Amino acid sequence: MKGKLLTGNGAAAWGARLARADYIPAFPITPQTEIIETLAAWIDEGQVEARLVTLESEHSMITAAGAAAATGVRVFSATSSQGLLYGMEMIYTVAGWRAPFVLVNVSRGLATPLTLEPDHNDIMATRDSGFLQIHCATCQEVLDTILMAYRIAEDKRVRLPVIVNLDGFYLSFTREPVAIPAEEEVDRFLPPFDPGNIRFRASAPVSQASAVLGAASYSYFRYETHLAAMQALAVHDEAAGAFAEIFGRSYEAVERYRMEEAEFAFVMIGSFATKAKDAVDRLRAAGWKIGLLRPRVLRPYPKGHLLKALAGVRGVAVIDQNISVGRGGVLHTELAAALADMGGRRPVLASFMGGLGGRDISPQEFYEMASVAKKAAEKGEAPPPRLLYTETELREVRRLQAIARADQMEERR
Amino acid sequence: MSETAFKRMKDLPSAHLLGTGTAMCPGCGGLQGFQGIYDLLGEKSVVVNAAGCMTLLSIYPFTPFRGSWLYTAMASAPAGAQGVRDALDILMEKKKMPPEENLDVVVLTGDGAAYGMGLSATSGAIERGLDFLYVCYDNEGYGNTGQQYSGATPHGARTATSKGPEGYRGQKKDLFSIWAAHSPSYVATVIGAEPLDLARKVEKARKLAGPRFLILLAPCPPGWDFDPKESVEIGQLAVRTGVWPLKEYVNGEIVHTKVPYSRLPVEEYLKRQGRFHHLFSPKRNDEVLNEVQARVDAYWQGVKEKSPVH
Amino acid sequence: MKVASRILGTAFYIEGFNVQDAPRYGAERRGAPIFAYVRASHESIHERGIIEDPDLVIVADDSLVPIPAAGILSGLTGRTVLLINTREDAKVWKERLNLQGPVVALPAEADDYAELRFIGARCAGAAAGLLDAIGRNAMEEAIGSELAGMGSETVAKNVEMALAAYDLMKPYEGSVGEGAPHAARTYKRPDWIDLPSEETRISAPDIWQPLTSVQVKTGLWRSERPVIDTAGCNRCWWICGSFCPDGAISLDEKGYPRVDYDFCKGCLICVAQCPSHAIEARPEHEDRSAGTRGERT
Repeated sequence: MKGKLLTGNGAAAWGARLARADYIPAFPITPQTEIIETLAAWIDEGQVEARLVTLESEHSMITAAGAAAATGVRVFSATSSQGLLYGMEMIYTVAGWRAPFVLVNVSRGLATPLTLEPDHNDIMATRDSGFLQIHCATCQEVLDTILMAYRIAEDKRVRLPVIVNLDGFYLSFTREPVAIPAEEEVDRFLPPFDPGNIRFRASAPVSQASAVLGAASYSYFRYETHLAAMQALAVHDEAAGAFAEIFGRSYEAVERYRMEEAEFAFVMIGSFATKAKDAVDRLRAAGWKIGLLRPRVLRPYPKGHLLKALAGVRGVAVIDQNISVGRGGVLHTELAAALADMGGRRPVLASFMGGLGGRDISPQEFYEMASVAKKAAEKGEAPPPRLLYTETELREVRRLQAIARADQMEERR
Repeated sequence: MSETAFKRMKDLPSAHLLGTGTAMCPGCGGLQGFQGIYDLLGEKSVVVNAAGCMTLLSIYPFTPFRGSWLYTAMASAPAGAQGVRDALDILMEKKKMPPEENLDVVVLTGDGAAYGMGLSATSGAIERGLDFLYVCYDNEGYGNTGQQYSGATPHGARTATSKGPEGYRGQKKDLFSIWAAHSPSYVATVIGAEPLDLARKVEKARKLAGPRFLILLAPCPPGWDFDPKESVEIGQLAVRTGVWPLKEYVNGEIVHTKVPYSRLPVEEYLKRQGRFHHLFSPKRNDEVLNEVQARVDAYWQGVKEKSPVH
Repeated sequence: MKVASRILGTAFYIEGFNVQDAPRYGAERRGAPIFAYVRASHESIHERGIIEDPDLVIVADDSLVPIPAAGILSGLTGRTVLLINTREDAKVWKERLNLQGPVVALPAEADDYAELRFIGARCAGAAAGLLDAIGRNAMEEAIGSELAGMGSETVAKNVEMALAAYDLMKPYEGSVGEGAPHAARTYKRPDWIDLPSEETRISAPDIWQPLTSVQVKTGLWRSERPVIDTAGCNRCWWICGSFCPDGAISLDEKGYPRVDYDFCKGCLICVAQCPSHAIEARPEHEDRSAGTRGERT
């Protein structure tokens, strides 16, 4: 196994290459474009045997991806943000086709206002669709997770498409050391796609994705998709176990960092969670009993893993890099609902929304969030949710507003 | 003409392949034309469908197809076709599927998708040289939702969203020319009421590869407001009045396969349909009628000028 | 049926009731069974959706009764009144369907299919006649309101038909009563299950068998049927079959066309297009009561 400095996008391209994806429907969008450019170059140079086709929109791209998977080939695709949303109708549709494939989403904030910088609102919008989702914190994890994702998606107990999410800029354009597994080893871990009987061919005509009339049919099909998704946690653990055996790297549905006897915890997903690891190290050095929980699998929701990991924890700072307008942070909302089953022993949750549109989160902010979580645990009461945002930042916005003459509210006559 | 297997009506297949028991309206001109098309497509096909009346051909667990079917969404049937076609090609290239298992990929949509929402996906598919046949059953409106006007609605037609005294104020979009401008392999207009012409064109389309398009005018009893039994006759009138030119685009040229020499006045076609009733009653709307006639006249004048041999 | 339910709903409303009415479509297609329901009460109406325990069921097309999908008999109890628009006797239906509750026949009009246009108004009128809650004036006002866009002549004709049906029901006036609300103290428990996770082959909406549509007998949509006179048929080569949108006409061994009445929807294109005029349209009920399902020779 050789190691290289690769960007997250480069690691994603390697994941698709090693998985021997046959078909790559593509459409460019910042910050994922480098993935398809890399794959296109490899194909043009004869290094990769696959067909890459640029569709004219992400809606069409996702349709083509699902249709090809429903026909019986291994499919890879990638998108971000506005593109993911443009294809949203088909995200739901192809999940219902039970078409297994891997879609890499390079997370980027959503308009309005338009931005190129990362946050997690785009991937959060897919959570009800039937796609599974797995979040990566490092470039190595991106490559590894793509390989595991195919195994999970194609498993007969699941047969659902999977989104592998990585942060724009902080992972997509950032180089880190990545061990690139040898092809023969990947082939051992991931055999060729076996579509079973679900494919198109002349000798076995099938009408796929037919409409239904009647609620009993609809409820059945929709709920079966849900049951299949719920099975994916067990399938993930099996795949991760096999992965660890062959490649020596272990992944859990929820990563636990320094959670031994932890009284407090950060809960965070994605690449910024490594900053939380750093904060955990500093706080531990300063005498805190604090750790980090990093859910990797968010759909299906790893409720059992989270409840188990939070046993004995008194205060939690949940850090959302997203906002459900009118409600608050999605991770927080879902965790609070899951914790309802813990009864009186459950930790107090403090909700923080930060990193929107790529905003950085400083170490001092982590230490302050830990303090807030501690105070909340002592009081037994959660504080109101907080947007991580400073005086300095507001001054900057005021300056921009002045230029835009936003203060001049009078109507022109 | 000598290359066709369909010289006379007796050369047409004597049994239809498509199953009975579908939910299309009695007298559906689209289904009637599609019967003739599916007869020649056969069961080694996969029909990729966009939202419209014919989505209801296959309602779980009932399907009329002997071949395969994939329902996609309204805007992206050509992209679905792209995915299936590419996947079949990949499977054959990689020897994971023998060529006998290959399928013809056929897109089937109404005018709503073809003239409007699906135009982007269509344009992309032609541009990529996708090997597929696109069949559009054109009933000149969004039929499945109650016949609201679409890009295919003709001037003056009453629809659920154009109930004013003059009917629809727009003009029917020229989808034939839009396709032809992309330089595809084949484009043709067809109609179920002319089954021999239709069969020849399907035959021709099947012999070619690349993007091919058949626009099937589909007289629609509930949408156009006429008695179902008149469905074929109204189709014949569409051709005989020159309103629906039967033509094909191939090798960069447009050829008319049927030229109505003594064209009937368009009102012979219009007056049979309730959707144009307001042009005749309570008062004749000569302005709109003359407009429609003038457009049809101008079209055929142009055809005559381009090919005087006709 | 939507019009019928709206006329009835509006009539109730005019009489001071709270109303909830809605149509339900089996499929968005002509000829497929559609039904509508009306709730009326002096209290607020909180219930929604299909009525599980109707007080009155009105059947406008008695050919729907044998169709399971139409669900005519679902929810009928011993106190439900069944009103059928039919040529047959109420007693015949009561016996045929083995019903406990009262059956009332609304005599179908003579063989004039134009009269079908008024079936909505007639049903609404008859329904109102069975209740003792809606007066003739309310009926007239309701029709005027619901058919406002159709011209005074049409409105007048509908009123006439509705009130005629209303009066016909005089002997049965008041036979429809309000049902009692559901009991919560003791109730029949729903048979909830935990759905098991099943393999994708069956748990995705995929149809693995071709041609399953032939199990849907669209022949039930017909009100007229084409009958082929083989003597007059020139075997032109199947023009009738070519033009049949549903593929319901096939050729026999001798090359004569044969209509499959299980599927023929009665569009009558074949009648219009036969070059030798050898196909005739006949009212459906005529052949049905004679018990034949094949063509005449």
